[in-house]
Amino acid sequence: MSEASHNAKASRSAFQRLLQAASSQIARHSSSLLLFMVFCVVIAVGMFMIGDLHTATDQAQRMYAGSVQGLRQIGELQYEAQETRRSTLYALTTNDSNLQVEYADQSRKADGLVTEGIAQYLAGAHIPREMELGQRLQRDWAAYLKVRDEVLASILEGSTKEAVDMDLTGGVPSFDRVRQDLEEVKRLYDEQASEQLKAVGLSSRRSVLRLVGVLCFTLLFAIASVWVIQRSKMLSALKLAKMQMDFVASVSHELRTPLAVICASAQNIADGVVDEKEKLAKYGSVIGHHSRQLTELVNQILLFASTHEGRHRYALRPLQASAIIESVLTNTRELAEEAGFTVEKSIESNLPPVMGDFSAICQCLQNLVLNAVKYGGSHPSIAIRAFRGGENVPYGEEVRISVEDHGIGIDGSELQQIFEPFYRSPVVKAAQIHGTGLGLPLAKSIAEAMGGRISVVSKVGVGSRFTLHLPASQVVGAENAAERVAQL
Amino acid sequence: MRRLLALLTMVGAAMLLLEVSPGTAKGDPSPAAQASADQNLAIIVNQTNTIDDITLKELRTVFLGERSHWPNGRRITLVMMDPGVPERKAILRDICRMNETEFSRHFLQGLFTGEVFVSPKTLSSPTGVRKFVFNVPGAIGYVRASDVDGTVKVIRINGHGVDDPEYPLRFEARDSK
Repeated sequence: MSEASHNAKASRSAFQRLLQAASSQIARHSSSLLLFMVFCVVIAVGMFMIGDLHTATDQAQRMYAGSVQGLRQIGELQYEAQETRRSTLYALTTNDSNLQVEYADQSRKADGLVTEGIAQYLAGAHIPREMELGQRLQRDWAAYLKVRDEVLASILEGSTKEAVDMDLTGGVPSFDRVRQDLEEVKRLYDEQASEQLKAVGLSSRRSVLRLVGVLCFTLLFAIASVWVIQRSKMLSALKLAKMQMDFVASVSHELRTPLAVICASAQNIADGVVDEKEKLAKYGSVIGHHSRQLTELVNQILLFASTHEGRHRYALRPLQASAIIESVLTNTRELAEEAGFTVEKSIESNLPPVMGDFSAICQCLQNLVLNAVKYGGSHPSIAIRAFRGGENVPYGEEVRISVEDHGIGIDGSELQQIFEPFYRSPVVKAAQIHGTGLGLPLAKSIAEAMGGRISVVSKVGVGSRFTLHLPASQVVGAENAAERVAQL
Repeated sequence: MRRLLALLTMVGAAMLLLEVSPGTAKGDPSPAAQASADQNLAIIVNQTNTIDDITLKELRTVFLGERSHWPNGRRITLVMMDPGVPERKAILRDICRMNETEFSRHFLQGLFTGEVFVSPKTLSSPTGVRKFVFNVPGAIGYVRASDVDGTVKVIRINGHGVDDPEYPLRFEARDSK
């Protein structure tokens, strides 16, 4: 049960870390993301416009093709109907049976085309009016053909007068009905074509409006994006400038204090105010202490500058956590004792070695310890623990070294910012706690260069716990058994 | 010389034997009979005409213009081909039993006396005859059996179809000379 709970907690923790990393990456690349979004929007708008234009063109082409086809069909119907009648009448104009047969044949060919055209019209009819008209035309055409056949028979038999009478009484009225039907078909087609034209015009106007709308939106979106990017960059630049100004002020202050002590001590010695051997030794010790402090400060600044520019090189080798802690405690003992802090140390047995640069890791951990002393508040106790980490980490097993204090703590909203270079919390500034804002960023850079990271848990007024996560050396060592040089 | 005569006799006998084939049985016309059927003259009428069979005697009255209407009431229109055409010669010989001059004279005289009701229509090609018959419900004409298609109706003569060996209207090769 406890193992399951531990796993769940570890999963939650991993997920939170992932989220933090993602949000950090997003914040860092917000401008690029925004530009990418603008690019995507422009591409999408372009595709939409192309699609819209394609649809409009397609519609216009369909309408044009339909118009041409319809006009041709009606024209052919009218022509062939006239040809049917014309050929019949030509047969009346001759007594030559051969010619009469030829004209009859022509008339029948033409009537076959008309019959076929009417059938096509009916097949393509969609609306009831079209179908009704097509069926009427078919009926009237059949009626005319019946009369036409009789007229042709009479002509061929040689009964010209009978043929003329039959044509005048039956043929002319029935052909007039056919002609009227064809005119009505044409009129209906004209109405449909004008409706289609109107629809295409409407669609075209809608398309233009859509395009204008989409272009306006894209333009506004692009303007807004550029404004946001510019504003973001400007704010970042302002923030950086302010932090750099704060840093210069802090460094100046940090430099001035030991320098003032060194100057005063040196002046006293030079003026002969101090002549006793014991006092001289004490003054020398003070000067030495502050000189070292100055050196440390300058070294830290230089180290940060070199890591920040990516030109610092580390020599990685397997290290024991106990050796690191011992070294750090030795270096910070004097300071801790002066501040009245007690240090509780706890190292888990059989810890695997970690892969790293000894002096860099010591510097990293030392920064955490110094911070614990600096911000330890009214509870002067620090706990340093080294223990084995979970295995559900990206690089396998890890060793964790935590530094815990019971000081002023850090507000949750500042937990991300404390690792930014030159950042100093308003609370510590108000409390006149001196610093450069480089300790934690430097520690973070070193930890990441070693393939690890730093996590922090803190609560205002309760204290903070910074944990240095370092990959166990057998994992890293398997990849590269020899000492390797990592470049930041 | 004797040897040559004997050889010729044998060749002649072989050719006669080849002429006699199983296809000569009734109902299975030989190629010769088929060729003969192709040379028959078909009497054609409009598809709407109800008549299916006609006697040679009735056909003579029709072709001489002595009959004016079909049983269905349609007026008879006689279609002939141009003078000199083999088919026309065969009709004049086998049906009208006249020569060209007698035939012309018969119609001139008949029209004058009122014994003949209508003069024949003359067309120059079998296709023209066929199309004429197709267009005129009461028309009757003739074409070679091989020129017949589905647009017209072929009538039997004395109960014999155009493929029967006993079919009386034969278009003979000498007619085309």
